[in-house]
Amino acid sequence: MANGTIKKDSGFGIAQVILFISIAILVIFVAWPVLLILFNAFFVEGNFNSMDFYKVLTEPETFQALINSLIIASMTTVGSTIVGTFFAWLVTRTDLPYKTFMKSLFLVPFMLPSFIGALAWKMLLSPHSGYINKWFMATFNTTEPLFDIYTYYGISCVEVMYLFPFVFIQVCGALERMDPTLEESARISGAGLFTITRKITIPLVLPSIMSGALLIMLYSMAHFGTVAVLGIEQGIYNIPTLIYEKIHESAGSFASIRTGTVLATVLIVSAACIIWAQQKVLSKGHYQIIGGKSFRPMELKLRGLRYPLLFFCLAYIGFTILLPTVVIFMVGGVETYGLPLTWENLSLDNYKYILFEYDVTRDAIFNSVTLGLAAAFITMFAGVMISYVIVKMKVRGKGILEFLGMLPFSVPGSVIALGVILAWSGQFGINIYNTVWIILVSYIARYMAFSLKANSAALEQVHDSLMEASRSCGASMWQSLKDIVIPLVRPGMISAFFLIFLPALRELTVSIMLYAPTTRTIGVAIYTLNEDGETVMSTALAGIALIIIVLGQMFINHLTKKASE
Amino acid sequence: MLKKTSIVAMACVLAGSMLFAGCGGGEKKAAPKAEGNKLIIYTSMKESLIKGIVTGFEKKNPGIKVDYQSAGAGKLMAKIAAERQSGKILADVIWTSEVPDFYKMKKEGILANYKSPVFKEIVNPFDDYDGSFHAARLGTLGIIINTDKVKTAPTQWSDLKKPEFKNGFAVANPALSGTAYMSIALLQKQFGPDFFKDLKANGARVGKGSGQVIDDTASGELSASLAVDYITNAKIAKGAHIKMCYPPEMLVVPSPVAIFKDSKQLDAAKKFVDYLLGPEAQQLVANQGTIPVREDVKIDPKFQLPSPKEALKKGIKVNYLEIIDSKEKTVKEFSDLMQVKK
Repeated sequence: MANGTIKKDSGFGIAQVILFISIAILVIFVAWPVLLILFNAFFVEGNFNSMDFYKVLTEPETFQALINSLIIASMTTVGSTIVGTFFAWLVTRTDLPYKTFMKSLFLVPFMLPSFIGALAWKMLLSPHSGYINKWFMATFNTTEPLFDIYTYYGISCVEVMYLFPFVFIQVCGALERMDPTLEESARISGAGLFTITRKITIPLVLPSIMSGALLIMLYSMAHFGTVAVLGIEQGIYNIPTLIYEKIHESAGSFASIRTGTVLATVLIVSAACIIWAQQKVLSKGHYQIIGGKSFRPMELKLRGLRYPLLFFCLAYIGFTILLPTVVIFMVGGVETYGLPLTWENLSLDNYKYILFEYDVTRDAIFNSVTLGLAAAFITMFAGVMISYVIVKMKVRGKGILEFLGMLPFSVPGSVIALGVILAWSGQFGINIYNTVWIILVSYIARYMAFSLKANSAALEQVHDSLMEASRSCGASMWQSLKDIVIPLVRPGMISAFFLIFLPALRELTVSIMLYAPTTRTIGVAIYTLNEDGETVMSTALAGIALIIIVLGQMFINHLTKKASE
Repeated sequence: MLKKTSIVAMACVLAGSMLFAGCGGGEKKAAPKAEGNKLIIYTSMKESLIKGIVTGFEKKNPGIKVDYQSAGAGKLMAKIAAERQSGKILADVIWTSEVPDFYKMKKEGILANYKSPVFKEIVNPFDDYDGSFHAARLGTLGIIINTDKVKTAPTQWSDLKKPEFKNGFAVANPALSGTAYMSIALLQKQFGPDFFKDLKANGARVGKGSGQVIDDTASGELSASLAVDYITNAKIAKGAHIKMCYPPEMLVVPSPVAIFKDSKQLDAAKKFVDYLLGPEAQQLVANQGTIPVREDVKIDPKFQLPSPKEALKKGIKVNYLEIIDSKEKTVKEFSDLMQVKK
């Protein structure tokens, strides 16, 4: 309360102004586009019409996309949960050799954008020409391929490969934080390992598993790249790919925009449900994990299985990460797609062409880097301000902001893209459609959640008393902000910056709906090159993108290591 | 300390101003980039063809800068429609292979009328030429086969019904590709509506863009596909294991070029059209392995292409005006037939 009274003395307005700006940012960038989508979905020519909504929804095409989204998301969720939990358990609760190294290895899939992974798997496992399938058919003299990647299973498997770290991180964290005394007391009381696992360990980590699973569900439902690369040609559409097709191929007519908004509404609603369920699950599990004491948790002795399991882990990483990466780089070096991967067919010509001669790809690299930097910069500062209001300030009207602050977490990328088209293409006086600005606006909306999360976590660690002390010594609010708070939350800000910059570099879902001739991003360039049949060019660019991403990640790791020292 | 605070203050101001620049100022900043004094061309020609022509044009006209967007005709038309709704077409020149689109745009009155002085030198496929658009290339489509998978080259369209092509033939998506749409319309006119039903019965399907079906054929994912001449020839030149086969009823699709009426770069656009129809650019067209519109340009015999006049004689005839209105219907029927949405 002391804070509040001082504020009244030291000048009215600053708090309100900050609050107002924070609300304005969230409304302009996130809430308004979403509202426009809901409005367009339910109102036809100004009249509320839910029948029409129902009609669009039950059209065979839309309904099928909905079902496909659900099928793929469910299979991906189940698969990732099993894979993620198993590996998390292996690296935290067993005596697997080289555990720390293995743990960091399992985070590598995060770096590989899933649509690039999909591209690689297309080359490896497309039924008649995939390298693995061709080898299989030649070796076993059959005409049946080993595995057809252009199926629900194929798409889900690829998504699992690159999404399971969501569960892995959550479960690892929970298992490490869990108080081992709980298990120990059970053991002392005579319970066997199986009973302990069933009655103590699993109930304790279940919330984390669930929350990771829900995160994947949300991500997969709104995921564009993998389905676009592996599904569309075979007629497998999910919600984002159908929205994309509607927007791009029907000349932006109202009927197609409407179908888009209806589909987007479904995404919004399911996202809201998922977020709600996640909160519910997490709040239930919160008090059960008592952190702090650093006992070493009981480790399961793997005995004879130690090295076989290590080998299994390495094989898994090799199969899902190394193999696709190698294929990307090799196919990127082939003169034309379809030639066998032999030394005489490989050269660096494509890479040279892409880096130095081809305008589209050069533009794309430039666009992605500048867009990523700008979005990360703006979003970082906006995020600090908004989280500061939410976490620290006591002003009237904060509730609105808290509610608005939840929004960025629950709005999927394709929804943002559609909303941004509705909001910024001239109907309201401002037309930035077809410019790079519309992509920037959508990136800000898309990555606000990352910034809010990182910054509020950092702010929560800054104790109120520091600020109060500075204020009671006579410092103004701005002064105490810049001398006390900002320096303390700088690590949070930096991590927010990179949490936004790296994903923005490889963004596809949003930019694919918003690009114009000169505003392709790396993701869009890779995707359109692939769609146009420049397969080797698109893989070569994908290879270059991978190098940029890995270098960026290494730079960040270097920075964060320095910051923590 | 001072430095730090000033950095923070500056950053805040910057962030704030960027936020509003993103809303208001962005338009002003972006507009000159789009207009400037750049000539913007939307084309469905691939990089390999358009790049050389644009470079040649820029060399001849040092004052003019050219930007081009290369994408499927369907995508470009969708883009143009969206741009029209938002008030301004970004492009100055359009050059695709979807002839009905040009008749439609002409009817809607968005094309500039320009009778190029070069017109009398070219082979003109349009009987009702009035200066709205000029043919700048006579594209051909044929059946390409993967030479590792198909041993006997098809000589007739009906060969595609043979078991050799079972589950292995594809046509590019007519919603994306203008040439694919045109060839479907031509083939249906020549062989009746059952032609594609029979192909479907033999497992034919819809692919993605006109380039992708070729790559899929080269890789062996498909045994054969309906493919555009110069894209195929570019891949053959790079060593792809594919071969182009032309049945006697040829698919000849003119690629018209037109100028938008509202273009701010009318002079530059006219110069480009003249250049495109001239001998230099047409030689570049021919060198890529597709038919130029000039008789005085040499076509390398390795492409097995007829001369422009011969091509017009051999090609399946069609009244473009007749097929404008049925475009959407044709595309939809074809998609419904060939692509079962799972």
